[in-house]
Amino acid sequence: MEYTQKNDDALVDMIDIHKYFGSVQVLRGIDFHVDRGEIVGLLGDNGAGKSTLIKVLTGYHSLTRGQIYFDGEAVRIYSPHDARELGIETVHQDLALVPLMSIARNFWLGQEPTYEVGPFKFLDKKMMASESIRALADVGIHIRDSEETVGNMSGGERQSVAIGRAVYFGKKLLILDEPTSALSVGETQKVLDYTIAAKEKGMSVIFITHNIRHVYEVADRFTIIERGHKLGDFYKSEVSENEVADMIVTGQIPERLRLYDEENGDVA
Amino acid sequence: MMQAYLDGKREASYIGNLVTLLILGFAVLGFCIAYGVLFGWMPLGERANILRSDLNPYEYIVAVAGLIYGLGCARTAYGLMNREQASLRWSQWMYFVTVIIGGAILLSVVIPVGLKFALLLGQEKDLRALINDDIGGLAPIALAIGENLISISLLVAGLVALLSLLVFLIPPLERLRETDGVRWIVAPPAKFVRAILLVFFVGVIGIIIAGTFVVPLYPGYTTIRDVETHRIAAGLLFLLPGLFGYMQARQVEEQSDELRRALALTPGKFIRAELAKSPSAGAIIGFIAIFMGFTMATDLFLEPSSVASFLSNVATKGVIAIGVTYLMISGEFDLSVGSILGVTALSFMQFLTIGAPVFGVMEPIPAALLAIFVAFILGAINGILLISTRIPSFIVTLGTMLAFRAITLVAIAGGRILRYSDHHEALPVIGISNIVFLVLAVIGLAVVAFTAYRVLPVLYRATIQAWSVRENSGDFGTSSALARAVALAVTLLILLAIVVWLAAVLAYHGSASGGQIVEVGYFDLFNGRVLAIGSEGDFFHMQIPRSANVRLAIVWWFIFVVIFHVILTSTSFGNSIFATGGNEGAARAQGVNVDRVKMQNFVIVALLTGIAAIYEVSRNPGVDPRKGTGLELEVIAMTVIGGALLSGGYGSVVGSLLGALIFGMLQTGLVLVGIESRVFAGTIGVIIIVAVILNTLVRGAQRN
Ligand SMILES: Nc1ncnc2c1ncn2[C@@H]1O[C@H](COP(=O)(O)OP(=O)(O)OP(=O)(O)O)[C@@H](O)[C@H]1O
Ligand SMILES: [Mg+2]
Repeated sequence: MEYTQKNDDALVDMIDIHKYFGSVQVLRGIDFHVDRGEIVGLLGDNGAGKSTLIKVLTGYHSLTRGQIYFDGEAVRIYSPHDARELGIETVHQDLALVPLMSIARNFWLGQEPTYEVGPFKFLDKKMMASESIRALADVGIHIRDSEETVGNMSGGERQSVAIGRAVYFGKKLLILDEPTSALSVGETQKVLDYTIAAKEKGMSVIFITHNIRHVYEVADRFTIIERGHKLGDFYKSEVSENEVADMIVTGQIPERLRLYDEENGDVA
Repeated sequence: MMQAYLDGKREASYIGNLVTLLILGFAVLGFCIAYGVLFGWMPLGERANILRSDLNPYEYIVAVAGLIYGLGCARTAYGLMNREQASLRWSQWMYFVTVIIGGAILLSVVIPVGLKFALLLGQEKDLRALINDDIGGLAPIALAIGENLISISLLVAGLVALLSLLVFLIPPLERLRETDGVRWIVAPPAKFVRAILLVFFVGVIGIIIAGTFVVPLYPGYTTIRDVETHRIAAGLLFLLPGLFGYMQARQVEEQSDELRRALALTPGKFIRAELAKSPSAGAIIGFIAIFMGFTMATDLFLEPSSVASFLSNVATKGVIAIGVTYLMISGEFDLSVGSILGVTALSFMQFLTIGAPVFGVMEPIPAALLAIFVAFILGAINGILLISTRIPSFIVTLGTMLAFRAITLVAIAGGRILRYSDHHEALPVIGISNIVFLVLAVIGLAVVAFTAYRVLPVLYRATIQAWSVRENSGDFGTSSALARAVALAVTLLILLAIVVWLAAVLAYHGSASGGQIVEVGYFDLFNGRVLAIGSEGDFFHMQIPRSANVRLAIVWWFIFVVIFHVILTSTSFGNSIFATGGNEGAARAQGVNVDRVKMQNFVIVALLTGIAAIYEVSRNPGVDPRKGTGLELEVIAMTVIGGALLSGGYGSVVGSLLGALIFGMLQTGLVLVGIESRVFAGTIGVIIIVAVILNTLVRGAQRN
């Protein structure tokens, strides 16, 4: 099926994305887009393929078939480095930090500041320490010592550091995969605040969760995925929190919304 | 200077105690030096006998300096202690224990080291003979005590080292204290122990250097003038541990804010974090324990010939262990290094004797380069196999280990040995024009000038700045300014020494007729025996005793350690190595090209192994088909002892150095104390298990 509709408002437009792991089909033709300055809640039950979808977008996995447009241009994202170059910053659910390394080194991993001595480049450790403390403080995370090993931190603290890093480096798109799973109520609220702050700065956000309550308040639109298929896109004005929750669990679109979607030609 | 502290502007924390103790320790050190010199335990120059009246000017200077230094430190410590004892109840108890421990450490380190040094350094090498002589007065008794003190204090030093180890492992005191509504948790004195260990470690190295290079110079000298420069060098070496400790104290003081933040951690976490920051902590403790054990067990151990032999024996393995450490940190390992060594050595020998396919019989330098290129290809094969198949490196390199070994087995039929001497009359010699030396000296001068231009102003500004704010920067303002001044002076001295040496080289080679060729034994260049340092008539000329087999590869090894340590800890590449082994997925998600990192590390191991193969051939120009068999496990053992985790993400190059040194000390030491060398493998086995247990403790801490 050739599907070459291109959406000019979209920051990211992923069209007909397929992903196989060997013979296992995890994504079966998903269309997914994020508009500029939009917060999209990417929802779905465990194992629906949410993480896989954004790992394809961030170059962590290669895609089997499909096309990605970023900023209106067809792009090929071969590695997480490419995604970063495009201005995409991600907090992965399972790939956040290196436990045996210090906070500062984790913070700067992959884009360490250096100074040059003749032909050699050395890490600017002072800058790494001070800037990571400052940047994390900016997003409300107060760490004691940037040399502290991440493995000694609690799960919530680690998640905060990963989020702080993404917020600091993110330019156009911020992807948060289950960012609140290990956080207390207060910390969760902070994450929602950064999300809104990022949007106000003109960034787009993909917020992944399987718990609608975490994201209903801030998201503009919800995309629900069910076992590798897209169930549909729903603007917040169209659906209630309970309806979304039901869809995630049952994988069925309620009668009322199905009609609406058919009008828009957007049936799952 | 004390005022700010006493006024309570600066809140007393355990840092205050640690620094106080360190300063107290240095007071003791200063007094010990003064005492040792004044009472003849530490003869520093030419003199007829050991009576007090015979002190020479140099000894007076050292003794007075030691006294002043000790008094100054004691005065500072006294002031600090007053304040502490008045205000903090717990500190009394802590003082009691830590003063005893700290004092014991310093005494037990300074006195035996000083005495041992005195014994070696002085004219009267055998004190026992002197005791029997009729000197009269109290001297014989003093001498007897002095001699026994060596063994007693070495014993104490051993116990103290054990205690220090316990401080690392036993859960520290956990006490809370309320100060202005802030809860302080009394964190364990890990920094303190580390500082002490560091002091001792540097001291040990100083002794080794002194024992190897300085002491043997003495038996033949006649006048003071002959040896004065070396005496000063020896004196500086002896002061090195103190200097180092002093700088460490300064660092502790500087970091106190950071540590204060760390105080909010629980002690258990704190100590594990401290351990985790220093992968080689276990290796340092092991090194000290084994070193002291052998020093106590046999006098032969500190003989230059023993030290030189164990260093020379492990140098090539140590070079490979650096690469293996890199690889292990990135989460992989290489069983094929032994075979790579065999193939590279064989190729090198083959190129030199029978000839390479296209080039025929080659000159040594191209042959070495081509052989190292062969190693590069073998490493690349390992890397490509691993990356393209995703088979675990254990399996991949097990396969290549056997496959590469087949190359040597097939190429050298029937267990023969390929010998250089079977094909050539004389060992290879390369001619170097003296213009090369001139150019090198000029480049060296340029580098020195550049370094001076970059470093000196910084040090100078730091000194001035520390001096100008000394009043407001707590109790150690003045001392930290002084320490900076010392750093400046030492740097200046080192640079000047290099300039003098380079100037001598320039003068020597410049005066020769242009284009003169200096002939250098090729194998000597790589791993020759070092007979002397500097050439005859040089400022730095030192003859190395005939019994000491010092090999040039040791020098290369240490240079590699420094270079690779810097790469690992201070470059982006090093950071990605740690990340790749620590959490491959996270590293990849942050844009690290983990495949490339692994590939690079396999190549680095192979290149270092290739270089080690050239060393081996240079030392013993003959290759048998089984060369390097068993090497892979030895270098992995060194790396693991050095603190690297088999599971990746953790380790250090310095650790691999210590691991190799431990390995070498055991190899030589066990023979010296008369234990069957067959026990060696078993001992190494036990050491590995102990090392891994320590590492597992650390890893457990990371998981918590
Ligand atoms: N590397 C892989 N190899 C094989 N199968 C995979 C791989 N990664 C994911 N899968 C499978 O793909 C499916 C979707 O996984 P994914 O992690 O995308 O789910 P998710 O929607 O993020 O779920 P959760 O809410 O639990 O995070 C799962 O069934 C999983 O088993
Ligand atoms: Mg997921």
